[in-house]
Formats: sequence, C-alpha cells, structure tokens
Amino acid sequence: MLGKIAVLLRIAFRNLFKSRINLLIGAVVMGGTFLVVVGGALLDSVVSSMSRSIIGSVAGHIQVYSARSKDDFAIWPMGGNDPDLSPITDWAKTEQVLASVPNVKAVVPMGINAALVTSGNTVDLTLEELRDVVREQKEHGSTPELDAQRASLEEHVRQIVRVLQADLGRASEIGTAQALEPEAKAAVQEASSDKFWADFRKDPYAGLEFLENKVAPQLSDADLLPLRYVGTDLDAFQRNFDRMEIVDGQAVPPGHRGFLMSKFVYEELLKLKTARRLDKTKDALETGDTIAKSETLRRYVRENRTQTREILLQLDRLKTDKAVAILQRVLGSSEPSLEKLLDRFFDTDDRNFQERYQIFYRDLAPLLQLYRLKPGDILTISAFTRSGYVQSLNLRIWGTFRFKGLEKSALSGNINLMDLVSFRELYGYLTTDKQAEIDAIKREAGTQEVDRSRAEDELFGKAGRHIVAEATPGLIDEKENFKGNAAALRREDLVRRVYDPKELGRGVVLDAAVILQDPRKLPETLRAIQARSDADGLGLRVLSWQQAAGVLGQFILVARLLLYFSVFIIFVVAMVIINNSVMMATLQRTPEVGTMRAIGAQRGFILGMVLVETLTLGLVFGALGATLGSGVVGALHHFGISARGNETFYFFFSGPRLFPTLSPMNVIAALVIVILVTTLSTLYPAFLATRVAPVRAMQTEE
Amino acid sequence: MSQPIVSIVDVVKEYQLGSTVVPALRGVSLDVHPGEFISIAGPSGSGKTTLLNLIGCVDTATRGLVRVVGRDTASLAERELTRLRLDTIGFIFQSFNLVGVLNVFQNVELPLLLQGRLGRADRRKRVEGLLEQVGLADHARHRPSELSGGQRQRVAVARALVGGPQIVLADEPTANLDSVTGEKIVDLMKELNQRDGTTFIFSTHDARVMAHADALVKLADGKIVGREVITHDAAVGTGSH
Repeated sequence: MLGKIAVLLRIAFRNLFKSRINLLIGAVVMGGTFLVVVGGALLDSVVSSMSRSIIGSVAGHIQVYSARSKDDFAIWPMGGNDPDLSPITDWAKTEQVLASVPNVKAVVPMGINAALVTSGNTVDLTLEELRDVVREQKEHGSTPELDAQRASLEEHVRQIVRVLQADLGRASEIGTAQALEPEAKAAVQEASSDKFWADFRKDPYAGLEFLENKVAPQLSDADLLPLRYVGTDLDAFQRNFDRMEIVDGQAVPPGHRGFLMSKFVYEELLKLKTARRLDKTKDALETGDTIAKSETLRRYVRENRTQTREILLQLDRLKTDKAVAILQRVLGSSEPSLEKLLDRFFDTDDRNFQERYQIFYRDLAPLLQLYRLKPGDILTISAFTRSGYVQSLNLRIWGTFRFKGLEKSALSGNINLMDLVSFRELYGYLTTDKQAEIDAIKREAGTQEVDRSRAEDELFGKAGRHIVAEATPGLIDEKENFKGNAAALRREDLVRRVYDPKELGRGVVLDAAVILQDPRKLPETLRAIQARSDADGLGLRVLSWQQAAGVLGQFILVARLLLYFSVFIIFVVAMVIINNSVMMATLQRTPEVGTMRAIGAQRGFILGMVLVETLTLGLVFGALGATLGSGVVGALHHFGISARGNETFYFFFSGPRLFPTLSPMNVIAALVIVILVTTLSTLYPAFLATRVAPVRAMQTEE
Repeated sequence: MSQPIVSIVDVVKEYQLGSTVVPALRGVSLDVHPGEFISIAGPSGSGKTTLLNLIGCVDTATRGLVRVVGRDTASLAERELTRLRLDTIGFIFQSFNLVGVLNVFQNVELPLLLQGRLGRADRRKRVEGLLEQVGLADHARHRPSELSGGQRQRVAVARALVGGPQIVLADEPTANLDSVTGEKIVDLMKELNQRDGTTFIFSTHDARVMAHADALVKLADGKIVGREVITHDAAVGTGSH
C-alpha cells in the first residue's frame, strides 16, 4: 500500500513540471491561493478594526429595543431616517433583568433623535452683547469698563454696517434685486449715519430694535444645523465605550445635563469656513495632492479669496486695523482695504500655501472666533417630539468628542451625545423637572382644563374678555414677565442643574447597548437575553451589533460577500481551467493509462494516479501562493497601508493606517479551498481515465 | 500431456463499426500448453492482435469459450480479469509502452508494486536480477527516452516477467526494431522460456522471427489455417503468407 502511494506520488511529482498544462494549472492555483490569503487577511483586518470601532463607539455588542416598534432599529439607518421606535417604558426593570444575564458586563440606556440648531450669527451675537451691556448700564449704572465695552461693541456694529454698505454698493453696480429694495438701502444708510449713533446714545433700546429688525436680517449669516444625537446615561456611556475620547473641553460631570458635540460636526459645521478650507487643503497636500492639479483645491482657494465676509463681520475697528497691519506686512503692500488684502492673502498656490497657512493660524486666528460655538456655550436645541410638536431646550456644550477610528467618517461622525434626561424632554416625555414646570405655569396662569365640547364657549362665549393682548412697544421687560415659580425654573441655569440618578431608571429609553464580558460568546448571550426578555415579559427585540449598526453593519456584510463572491468566481474559473486541462492531459496519456490497466492496475489505481497528481499540483502551487501571500501580508503588517487621507479608506481602516494581520485560519481556509477545488475539478477527468480500456495499450504507434 | 494453459474453443469476435459488424475472429479453437513458445503468424488484419487480446484478458469474446489458466474469462468480473492479468500474464508491446516519467528500474518495479506482495528489499533484488538477465543492469537509473529501441524492449521484457507470470504475450515485439535487434529480443525471450518454463505467445509477420518459435499458428481472415511444429535443426521454417 505504501509502495503504491509512493509510486503514485513519484509519478505525480515527475509529471508536475513535465507539461505546460500543469504549469498553467499551477499558475491558476497559485494566483487563487494568493488572492484568498491576501484578500482574506485584508478583509478580516478591515472587518475586525471596523467591528472594534462600531462596538466601542455606540453599538456595544448587543442592542435591545422594544418589540412593539414599527421600524427595525439601526444606529446608522439605511436611507438616513431614524427609525420609529416604541419606547421601553420600564427601564429600571429592564436594566435589572439585562444585567442579570450571564456574560453581561454593562447596560447603557439610549435614544437617538435629530434636531435643528441655530448656530450663532455674528450680527445677532454682537447686538445681543451690546444689549446686555446697555441693560447692565441702565440697571447698575455705568463703569469705565462697561463704557469701553460699549464703545467697542458700537464700533463693531458700525463696522458691520460698513461691510453691508459696501455690499449694497456692489450690488447696485451689478443691479441685483436687493439693490432695488429702497427700504433696505435706506435702513443701512441710516445705520451708518453719525446722527443714528448720536441718537443711539440717548435711546439705545430704540436703536437696537432698529438694528435688529431692519439691518440684521440683511446680514443673516446664521445656519440651521441638523444635529443627530444619542441621549444616554453619559456616565455609563463614558465608562463603557472605550472608543470615545474627549477632544476639546471636558466630559459632562456626573449627574449633569449637557451636550457633547462630535468633533466631526464641530469642525465641519461650526468652524470658520475659511479656516476649514485651509485645513482641508493642508490635509490634501499632505497626501500628495497639489493645488495645481486638484480642481477641488483650486475651488477652495477661490472661495477663500471671495468669501471673506465672515471674517470681515467678525472684526471690529481695532481688530480690523490689526489685521490690515499684519497683512500689509506679510504681503509687502500698502493697500488699506482689508477685503482686498484678504483676497490677495488667500490667493495661495503650492509654493506659498504652507507659509500662508501658518501665518493665518499664528497671526490672524487670534483676532477671530474660529468656531461659532465653544465649550461652555449654551446651545438651543429644537427637536420634533414623537407627537410632532417642537420642543426646545437650552443645553450647555461641555466639550467635543470623537470615536477613535471613525472620526473622519461623515456617517459615524454625525452622532452627538446628550444626557438622557434632556433627551427625554426633547423627545416629548415628561421628566420630573418638566412636570413641575408645567404645574407651576398652570398655577401662575390660572389655567383650567377645558373640555373640547365647551372650548368655543370658553373662548368666545363671555363678553368683555380680552382677546388681543396689547403690544408693549420698546423694551420687553423679560424679568417682569417671567417672575414666579415658572420663571425660576425657566431661567435656572440648566448647566448647573443636577438630576437624581434614580430618575434615569424612572423614565423611558428607546434602546440600550449591552456590553459583554466575553465578546466571543455573543450568540449565546444574544439568545439568553431574548429568552429572559420573553420569560419576563419585557417585550424586547435583541440585535447583534452588526445588525444594529445598520448601514455600517451592512458595509461589513457587503465587503464579506464581495470577497466570498470573488473567491467563488476565481475558483469557478480555476475549476473550469483545471477540469479542461486535466481532461486534455488524460487524453494525451490514454496509452499510458491503457498500458497500466493492461499490466494489471485496477481502476482505483488510475483514479488515484490522476487525483494525486492534481492534488500534488494544487498543494505545491497552493503552498507557493500561500507563502507568497503570507509574505505580502507580513510586509503590509510591517509597513501598514496608508489611508492616504482618503475618508473612505480611513473609515474602512478605522484609522489612518491598516495593519493587516494574517490568521492561520486564512491560510488553512485557502489550502482547504484549493484541495476541494482541485479534487472536484479532477473527479470527472479522473473518472474518464478509469474508463480507458486496457486494449488501448495495444493500439499505439510510436 | 499436461492440461492446456490456454484453451480457446469456437471463439468468434465481432466488432461493431457503425452499423456494420466486422468479424475479427470467425470460430477459432486453440490449445496452448505450459512452456510452449508459440508464434502466431498471419498478414495484417488476420486477427493476430485480437486473438492475443482475448488470451491476455484485455478483451472478451463475442461467442465461444476462452479459458486462461483454467478460468473462463467470460465469467470473470472486470476486477478479477485485471487481477488475473497482473498475476498470470506479462505483456510486451509493439511500441514498448514504458511509463515515460519513470526510470528503467521504476518501470520494471511497477507490476510488483501493483501486486503488493513483496517488500522494498525483495522488489529491489528481483528487479535488479531481471535487469541483469536482460543486460540492462547499468541502465537502471536511465529514463526510457535515453535508451535505444532494443534496450527499451528489453526493459519491457523485464517488466513482463517481473511479476512471475505463467504466460507472456508479445504483440509484434520486433515490429519497431531492426532485424538484428529483433532477433536478439526473440532470442532473449526464448532463453527465458527455456530457463523458467514460462509460456510465450507472440505474434509476428516476420519470417525470421517465426523461425525461433516451437510452434507456428497460422491465421488468415480470422481463422486458423494451420498449426505446425518447427524443428530447429531445419534452417528456416516454412514461409508465411
């Protein structure tokens, strides 16, 4: 028996390099194995780094949500619309049950929602500051500091008006619609007159009202920012999601309400657009792009040169003078107009970009507000509640954060964080605070419950009732209007408001992330949680992180399918080629096979001979391909693959570089596939070989 | 006289060629006794190869009885026929039919490996002994492609004999060799026949080769037209057709 196998192997090895056909098969097998090993290692590395990013960011290992929900849950939903979820009403109990399932390390309650936020508008902000100073002076009398502050702010407003005037001048030159609006033009003319500012000193409130109503709307540079946020138990979140890290500011202190902004959103939406464009250009240049070659970068340069208004509006007279001095020095020019100087300064090319970039951040940036909001600011968030009305809330931005590995992805970077109590309020569920506030307002206003059937009577039935309130011209004394309990609540600084940790358990949550002790036991724990939920009547639906991640999870799935599919195609092609080749080789060897049969070789021997031969071929070239592949993966692991600043790659690599690792499973899988493919593709030709009649040995001519 | 080692009775062999039936043998009867050195002679198409194929168990008769070493080949399964060939019959082919990728030693060793009875050392002894006998002891490591035609046929002779067969069949063993070499091969076969008593049946249409045989079976048109014993003091045997 051993002798027989030995002779089979001997024949196989001798034949290995004898025919071109075998070399062809060998090349196909080698290429296939190489691709499986390298592709498999790359995909595995992408999948595992993405998995780590997703699990460690928001998803956790498992997500649970109410089974009564209309939609399927997804953190990054397909199509972008957040799913309609029914809330988990008894969170305290749910949390307790989930935490008792073996292998569960932690449970973090959550809810995802989106809101619109008005970002600060330079004009409005400046006018608001001016109003504060004026009010302060009225109430407490003037001090030298307040006077100086007011003078500076007035000058800033006049500067803004001058910018606007210049705009209008240009607009009338090219005859746009705005230039034809005489009222607007007149308002600007008036605001720029010395008489207006003399009057302003006498009656600042009237002046402010004029500026706010007639001038500011023409300059509205405010944006409505769409913000997605996850409301969660921030303490638990920060403890359990290792991928989250604070970038600017600080984490929300325990028990406090507040908002943490995604660094991605912060940079993309809140940074001074000129600065953002400079950053992007710098990134692109570092990955080898050039302004000369890139259409996008040239567009940035154009936009930086022309869209300088954001900067012009930010600077008051003093700062404008400083900026002009700086730019005159840098550009060696005596041009007095800041706008023209900026135009020339931002006229960057590949030669001067780095220098200009440094000058911008070193000299100009200190004069500017680079971000419209900064940690410590209060953000007004308006969200649609579940029932469709708008709910607003003031929240302090404590800082910015990012999820390591996903920081450059627009998809995952759009998630911001908020405390759970505020989330509930915005989502339209009554929190303890809110209930108290409503009760207080009801008492203050003397409202009463009105039945719908009596509503008309109540409204119009009694004569002499005031239906239209009298408008108070001039100053609205906010303090007077919001006195009492409700006002105390309304004005109370939410920043300092602390909630009772127990309140987290009392309200609703929309979903919850479950963190496991041993992630490898995910399927078992998934089943265990589902079983517990069913047994205790919690009515939960349980998802793995991959399902819950939605689009991101799909990415992984698609990537995997793509690899499997290409491997499948490669080997189907390989099978066809091998099958054909072995068929030809067998036909060529008909006399040899006939001779062997004649001298007493059984069919099994012939079958073995053909199979062993292709198998040897497969293994030898498969091993070569695997070795080559392992070498390439090893080299890639050593040097890493750079994402080259490309955001898609950055996302897939979950970082700036991917260091693929080779798992033995990959090599084994590749070799098993090779063995299967070669065996399967050889079976038929081998079978045909066994059918060669011994008589064929007699029918040969040399 | 002993029992015949090959016994053929009224054998008909027909081939289907499209829609026509081509008869190759039309009622042949022949007994071959152990130790005989028989030549089957006849022109091309007379049925020599067909007859050898039937005796060699690589083909079966359409009608009639073929008994090899006492066994009716028609009653044997494919596996058993193969085993019968392996153990009792040695083949020498017109085109030598050596396995190109194996060297001389390995070619000769092949039947022993297939039989699987002998260990490595015994196989080596036996193969080397036979190579000695056919005069190729020095060429054991050569590939067939490095040998001359005569040398290759000697390898084939050694391979045919290595498994210790009772019958050796040779289909036109000298057809691809020049006459001198051909005669040497037949002499070698004769020598082995006389020393070991192995039965040799070979086909040829070469008169000089036939002359070495003990008996001559003449075939024509699928029928035996004569059987004669050759006495070797006579110079050359009766002529062929």
